[in-house]
Amino acid sequence: MRASQTLRHLIGPLELIHEEAGPRLLRLTRLGVFALWIVKLLLDPLWRLAEIPREMFQPLGILTLLPATALDRLLAPGGLAALLIVTLAVLALGLTNRAFPLVSMLAAVLLTVYSSVIRSFGPAVHTDIVLLFAVYALAGFSWADWITEKFGKKKIAPGAAAYPIVTIVAMLCISYCLVGLNRTVAGGARVFTGDTMEAWAVDASLRGYYFNTNIGWHIPEWPLVVLMLRSGLPVITLFEITAPLCLAWPHFRWIFIPVMLSFHLLSLVFMNILFFDDMLLYLLLIDWSRRFPALRRPGHRPSP
Amino acid sequence: MLPPPRVPPRLHPAIAVAIIGLCIALILWLVSFTVPLRVAGQAYLLIIILLAFRYWPPMMRWVASMPVAHRVVFGVLIGAMILGHYTLNNRTYFPYVAWEIFPFVHEDDPVTCSELIATTASGEKVRLLAEQLFPSIVQINPLNCYSPDTTEHLARALAKMYNEHHADDPVQGVDLLVMAVKLHPPASESRAQPSCELLKHYDISSAR
Repeated sequence: MRASQTLRHLIGPLELIHEEAGPRLLRLTRLGVFALWIVKLLLDPLWRLAEIPREMFQPLGILTLLPATALDRLLAPGGLAALLIVTLAVLALGLTNRAFPLVSMLAAVLLTVYSSVIRSFGPAVHTDIVLLFAVYALAGFSWADWITEKFGKKKIAPGAAAYPIVTIVAMLCISYCLVGLNRTVAGGARVFTGDTMEAWAVDASLRGYYFNTNIGWHIPEWPLVVLMLRSGLPVITLFEITAPLCLAWPHFRWIFIPVMLSFHLLSLVFMNILFFDDMLLYLLLIDWSRRFPALRRPGHRPSP
Repeated sequence: MLPPPRVPPRLHPAIAVAIIGLCIALILWLVSFTVPLRVAGQAYLLIIILLAFRYWPPMMRWVASMPVAHRVVFGVLIGAMILGHYTLNNRTYFPYVAWEIFPFVHEDDPVTCSELIATTASGEKVRLLAEQLFPSIVQINPLNCYSPDTTEHLARALAKMYNEHHADDPVQGVDLLVMAVKLHPPASESRAQPSCELLKHYDISSAR
């Protein structure tokens, strides 16, 4: 009896994250996502890409639909600067919350073009893709609100503010889950039993990125770090696959957040890879509305 | 007089689990003739996870409370993300990409990497990284993926960008080196730098 009670206490409640979120939390989420994109773009001298050899440019996604002359104009210093300035202006407009469906849709299109341009000079890396999906979610649900208000028979449900926030958390969790499933099924057992992590760490460290700690290639000389990486990969993969539990299980989130933050920090130290955006999106893994009544939807009574 | 009720034959839970497991394996094996196992296996596991949420009462209640337009947006966003992953294609449908991070065994030992190392007018050695001089780019492909001409154009573009910010000590030449690190070094071996081999030298000062 006591054992089952202890177990129940350890497991804790199962409740959908952000189910009680109100308009204020949605407004904060919009501000956070748009502000993060603004900071990223302000730090990016995009016009410099015009100096990169054109033969390195392999268009991807939406850019493959553009004619060659349009791409030539876009990749000129003026075209790239214009893309940056217009995107920044639209994002700044998004902060005001005016005509949000229109502004956010425009921001989603411009950010898709921007994200495609910067990846057309190399592989389609995963950094900031979930942040781009967050803009899609904010834009999509704001249009859904507008359509429901304009043409729907019933008014928007009181919990409507939670829809985009829960969707963003779901997309973040699914991205981790797909990474973990892919590694387990496609990579097989050898990924977890051999020297995979050392090889990837040395490779990433030799190649170098924006952040360059120059540490990772020493890993084969450090048996304790090798042991940590080898034993850490299955644990991290397990957390990645089970990431969707973050939607439902508060106690799991309090383990998931520190474990994955440590993983991302170690990736920075040993592999020079920083998933800055995902780390900031972890703020949405905290159920703010259950802690702060001001962020709950109006008239909602929290469950006992 | 009524006949006694028929009692269904009881199956030991372990046998039931084994039968279910064999059935799943058989289905996956059959599906793998038309769909690669890496897709079918992942899809199967993901369906289990999604079904768990599909029948979780708070999630059912939450989705049911959504107006139709919101349900469509929710379904399209999540569906597109999952479909994009199963295209196993990172470029065509961007941002709906395949989510692959450390997905296979890295077979090479030693691990090698080509690098561009510049020598400045003062004789200082500087590593030229596209990701630092052109910070918009998160990552370029490994240099050995490019043709010799492209690598030379890149070396010159990086040197030009470096010189714009270091006019007092500009780059004079750039070496294309291949660096190598053994994954299983001899015991107690410690190095200050990875071993390297010169592949090509580009004279930058004469080009200016």
